[in-house]
Order: sequence, then C-alpha cells, then structure tokens
Amino acid sequence: MWNELLGAFFAVATLPNFVAMAAGIWGGVIIGAIPGMTGTMAVTLALPFTFYLPPVTSLLLLVALYKGSTYGGSISAILIKTPGTASAACTVLDGYPLARAGKGGKALNMALVSSCIGDFISNISLIFLAAPLAMFALRVGPPEYFMLMAFSLTIVASISGRSLLLGIISACLGLLLATVGEDMYGSFRFAVTEDMKSGLGVVPVLIGLFALPEMIKLAVFRPEEDTQAMKLGDNRLSFKEFQGSIKSIIRGSFIGVILGAIPGIGPSTAAFFSYSEARRTSKNGDRFGEGELEGIAASESANNGCCGATMIPLLALGVPGDVITGVMLGAFMIHGLTPGPMLFQNNIGEVYSLFIGMLFSSAFLFVAGTLTAFGFAKISRIPQQLLLPCIVILCVFGIYSVASSPFDVAVLLVMGIVGFVMMVLNIPAAPFLIAFILGPMFEDNMRRSLAISRGDIGVFFQSWISWGFFALTILFVALTIRREWQKWRSTSRATN
Amino acid sequence: MTPNRDFYTGLVATAFFALVLFVLIPVYVRVPSFIPGFAPPPDMWPRVIGWVGLVMGVMALVLAVPKMRRQSGKKVLSVGAYLRANRVFIYRFIWMGLGFAIFVYLMPKIGFLTATMALLAFLFIMTGDFSKRAWMIGLTLLFPIFLYVIFTEITHTPFPHGKWFSLARLLHLI
Repeated sequence: MWNELLGAFFAVATLPNFVAMAAGIWGGVIIGAIPGMTGTMAVTLALPFTFYLPPVTSLLLLVALYKGSTYGGSISAILIKTPGTASAACTVLDGYPLARAGKGGKALNMALVSSCIGDFISNISLIFLAAPLAMFALRVGPPEYFMLMAFSLTIVASISGRSLLLGIISACLGLLLATVGEDMYGSFRFAVTEDMKSGLGVVPVLIGLFALPEMIKLAVFRPEEDTQAMKLGDNRLSFKEFQGSIKSIIRGSFIGVILGAIPGIGPSTAAFFSYSEARRTSKNGDRFGEGELEGIAASESANNGCCGATMIPLLALGVPGDVITGVMLGAFMIHGLTPGPMLFQNNIGEVYSLFIGMLFSSAFLFVAGTLTAFGFAKISRIPQQLLLPCIVILCVFGIYSVASSPFDVAVLLVMGIVGFVMMVLNIPAAPFLIAFILGPMFEDNMRRSLAISRGDIGVFFQSWISWGFFALTILFVALTIRREWQKWRSTSRATN
Repeated sequence: MTPNRDFYTGLVATAFFALVLFVLIPVYVRVPSFIPGFAPPPDMWPRVIGWVGLVMGVMALVLAVPKMRRQSGKKVLSVGAYLRANRVFIYRFIWMGLGFAIFVYLMPKIGFLTATMALLAFLFIMTGDFSKRAWMIGLTLLFPIFLYVIFTEITHTPFPHGKWFSLARLLHLI
C-alpha cells in the first residue's frame, strides 16, 4: 500500500493536476458562495470539460469543485445569512450573529479551519477505513434508516431556540411541506397544480426561507437603525478559540465521515447532527444560535467531513453516496473506470492517485478559502437597501438556472413570504428546514419497512444498529423533556 | 412588537393545521382504492403531522394566555385592534406579496430579463430609502443584464424571452 501511495504522490504532483485542483477549489468556493448555485451544479457544469483531460486530472477537478462548493456555502451563510448550499444551513445560526457583531472574519476563519480539518480527516478515513465503513453501510436497510432519521429529528429540540413548542410547530410545517408531490407508491398529495406533482425542490425552499425574509423585513419594517453591522472586524482566530472548539471539530469530522459513508444521508444531516451534538455537550451550549464559534466549527467540520467519505461507497461498492457522487460516477464511466470492488484490482494506480490528490486539495482549500473569503467579505460593506434587493435577484437567477422552471421561482418567492411570517410569529426556521430535508427519508423508510414486514413494527428492532439508534432517540427525548421541565419550573418560580 | 405575539402564533398554527386536517387532506390527498401488499395509505403521514401540529398549536395558544395577560396589564388586544395597530406594516407586506405575484405572472409575458429589472426596481422602492438613488438606477439597469449574460454564457440557461416583447432579443441584436 505504502509503495502505491508513494508512486501515486509522484503521479499527482504535476502542474496540470495542481492547476485542475486549484481551479476546482477556487471555482467551487465561488459557486458555493453564490445563493442558489450548488455543488451539484458546479460538478455537472464541469463534466463536459473533463472529456478533454486525463482520468485522474478530471476526477481531481471534480472532487476539488465538490470540496470547494461545500466550504463556499459557509461564506454567504456567515456574511449575508444565505447558505449557499443546503449543508451550510446550520452555519447561518451562529455565523450571521457573529458577522452582525463585527466578528465576521473570525467566523470565516473558524469555518475555513474546521472545513480543512474535516476534509483532511475525511480523506485519511477514505484511505484507511474505506472497506470496513463500506461493510457497515451495506448492513443499513430501511428499518435502520428509519431509526437513524428518527434520531436525527430529535435535533429539532436543540435548534428550536427559546421555545420547544414553536420548534415542533416549525418541524411539523417542514414535514408537511415535504409530503407535497408524488409519494413512493405513486399517489399525489397536495398537488394543487400540475407543477406540484413533482414536489418542491430543496434549493428553492431553502433559499426562500433564509434569503428572502430579510428583504421583506426591510421593506415592511424599514428599520431606521443601521443594520449593516456585518464588518469583518476582529479577524484573527486565537489559538484559545481554536482550542475551545477542537473537540467539536474532531467530533464533527468523524460524524461527517460516518454519515457521509452511508449512502443518501449527506452533508446537511451531518452538519445538523454535529451541531446538535456540540450544543448538547458544550459548556457554551446556551450561547449556540447567538454567535458561538463552536457552532460554526461543528457544522463546517461535519459537512466537509462528508466530502471524502461519500467517495467510500462510490469507490468500494459503486454506490453514489449523494447527488454529486452520482455525477462523479458518470465521470468515472466516461473515462473507462468502473467504480466498485474491481476498481481496486484493475485501476489501483488511479485510486491511489485520487486519494493523494484529495489530500493535496485540502491544502488548496485552505489557501483558496483564505483568499476568496475575504474578497467576498466586501459584500458586508454594501448598504442593506442596495444589497438585499440584489440578493433577491441573484437568487431568482440562480433558482431559475437550476431547472429552468418558473415554478421553482414561484416557490422561492412564496417561501420568502412564509419565512417572513414565521419570523414575525417567532417560529424558528431551522427546525422547518431540517424536517423538510429529513421528512421524505423518514417517511419512505418507515413505509418501505412496514411494507416489507407486512405491517409488523418488530422490523424496526431486528438489528443492533436499529436498537442503538432507538436507544439514543429515547435518551435524547428524555433529556429534552427533563431540560424543558427544569426551564418551566425555574420560570414559574421567577414569576411567583 | 406586541406582547400578544405568542397567542397569535398559536392561533395561526391551530387554524393552519385544522385546515390541513379537515380540508386539505380530504380534498388533495387521494387514497387509492387498492394498495398492494401491506403499505400504509398516503394520507397516514400527513394526518400524523397534522394532528401533532394541531395539538402543539392549541398548547401554544393555551400557554400564551396567562403570559399575555401578565405582559399586557390584564388586557388582551383583539385581532381587529392588533391589525389596526399594525396596518402600515400589513399594507407593505401585501404590497410585497403583490409584487412577487405580478413578477411571476409577467415573467413569461415580458421576458425574464425585463421582469427581473422591474422586480429589482420595485424592491429598491420598497426599501423606502432613496439616499443612494444613482446606485439604485444603475443596478436596476445593469445588474440583471450582468447576471443574464453570466448565466446564459456559462450555464446556457434558456431564460424565457417573453410573448409581448423581449429585451434580451433586443440586446442580442445590438
């Protein structure tokens, strides 16, 4: 193995490969930072260009775009409260308050460092743990997925803000909206118009919910105070601050690796899960959501921790872990490489070159992230009355370009209005979002499991993986009830 | 904002989930007459969510009353008084909704580019702050064109040209 890795090192260390990686990371960061432009779009757009490149160079370009766009989502999340990608939605919760407090630079630095560490750990894991984790992923069927989703939904409790009740209402809205369209057995639900039969896209809902309410708020309330407080201010991330978040970074990276290796889960779930865990265990847990650096560290390390890990099932089993690796599967095929166990026998040189290239790309991510993020920071100096309308227009263009669908634009604008109403009513948006993303997976796996078992709910308790997730779900529900009870008692005492 | 907000949140949530349970699900979720094997019907999951939402809405409503009475000096503002007190904000909100609806309606008629220019101008007007008038005019005219060029050249997005007239075609001719 070591000889192959050394050989791959020299094979990768060429100028064309470095140019491809640098271009991929840089382009990915920029695209990821633009609301509405996704990593999938970046990789898909680059695919035709890879026809003219050698296989390894092509794959390194695509992987670099993937990594760059995953990190890039955090830039707009922190500076303009608009997650460029779904996986950066969690970063908004603490990133934007920090930016408003004049610590945008610090937040960007933490996002970058966490992303690079998560990415590096993910790459190392890909190299050394590919086979065992792929074996684990193989054993996860619909009942285990259902339990995992149930456990993931418990994080609603920790991202609900001041009221668990309003958090659950928000999650119910998200779950309900996720049922729009055709279900797994071909029945249509809430398909009021023809366009709604295919359901609502995650990207328009996400962007609408996070980007547009700020504009509507500006138009409706017209605040007289200067809301443009998002200066970079104190840019340096001190060693003490980094040290304070290191546990969350390491834990987030491994959460990203484990969840990334399971096909279909992806970086959004990993980011929310890691954020939730960090909040539960941190001594600063109460400050999460108000501008806590550790929150950014947890979210960003997990979403970038997925990047290398999603390649594990792709390379070892030929199963794409998410949409982007699905596109990459096509790229492998175009270049005559068939992902799966035979790839490790027939094309071991290319596999190791990809591994080494991914390690190099972590370093490129750090350099490109440093330079690009602070270029984007200039956005924060633009007055709100100029910036927010332009963001809406950028979102409209971005959403239309995804599927050339006027319906998606309409969904974006309607979600903006819904997001504003939720903001006015104090209903938190984060539980809505996580429920909207996890809802279809939760329902599909529940219905699929019940169909397989002919209605026997015992199917959910047939493996130790299911039992493990079930125990964790019960534990966290009990802890949440206890916490809410204590909060209620202390409030009652204070008012009496 | 008003101290009655929690009460209205509960009220809106209760009304919404009641609407979902008793109107939207019966009308818009079709249950097939035959479901192969054992598979839960398509309305099961929305009903579960609807009931959970309804119970949470009612709880929010009930829990908000004592708090609201404490905060508003034993007085509870009626819905009418609440709307009257905030009518300027409500008018502006309605204007925003109308603006978005008109944009979606006009997009296929006047073309994507012209419609986004009009939307940007409308949003600038809605901010109510015209201290940077020159920037606003410049951005209204140039920013959508810049994005249009970027997206058509790089992503080859086929933006709608418009049935009535097309500024994009005019630009192509120029």
